[in-house]
Amino acid sequence: MADLLVVLALTLVVAAATAAVLTRDPARQALVLALLGLALAVLFTALQSPDVALSQLAVGSALTPLMLLLTVRKVRGRGHRGGRKRGRA
Amino acid sequence: MNGWLLAAAVVLALGVAPALWGATTGPLRRRVVAQNVAALLVCLVMLLLAQGYARPSYIDLGLVLAVLGPAGTLVYARLLAAELAADPPTARVTRAMTVLSAAAPPLVVLPLCVATGPGRSLVKLLLIGALLTAGNTISGRAVSGTTSLPREAHDG
Repeated sequence: MADLLVVLALTLVVAAATAAVLTRDPARQALVLALLGLALAVLFTALQSPDVALSQLAVGSALTPLMLLLTVRKVRGRGHRGGRKRGRA
Repeated sequence: MNGWLLAAAVVLALGVAPALWGATTGPLRRRVVAQNVAALLVCLVMLLLAQGYARPSYIDLGLVLAVLGPAGTLVYARLLAAELAADPPTARVTRAMTVLSAAAPPLVVLPLCVATGPGRSLVKLLLIGALLTAGNTISGRAVSGTTSLPREAHDG
């Protein structure tokens, strides 16, 4: 009974990770990755390691999606417009 | 296992799991809204876990997520603005999101406040509740009504 939370969080992590692998479009994948990060944070908290969960949250909930989406946007923009935005990050 | 942990497990099973399903299937508008809901619910789960494990320091996780969750949703609303503007969430979904972001945080934070009693952690809890409500209202509005966000004309 006490392990219910760990089992639940693990199930969520497995489901989210599988879904992230099976999603093909990078923009949609970023959304699933954010959810995977949240599930991992819950798992780490249930396993009594809040410091790991804290760094996971800090990186996973905003930074990873931001970098992924910026990359996708830059690559697509370059494909469509021939590198018009080359000077920008 | 006490009642707080049980509540956290219930929120995980009945809230975050459907949100995960919503984020992996369907059109983009549904995925963004589901991600927003998941961040809100996981933040509440963190608060419940902190109380359930009787570790007040775990509340910091909720505080970080209350700040970063809506920020993450704003990232999507900003960088996927073209796709979202072409296919915005329906009015029903937007209303449900507003109700959820206004009703869910007090529903969890107020019992926690009663259990905590007066003190520094009470102020922290109230701050997290206010941040959650405000942040999710803003991000929900940003996802649905793209009018509240300045959009680039050359997007897309």
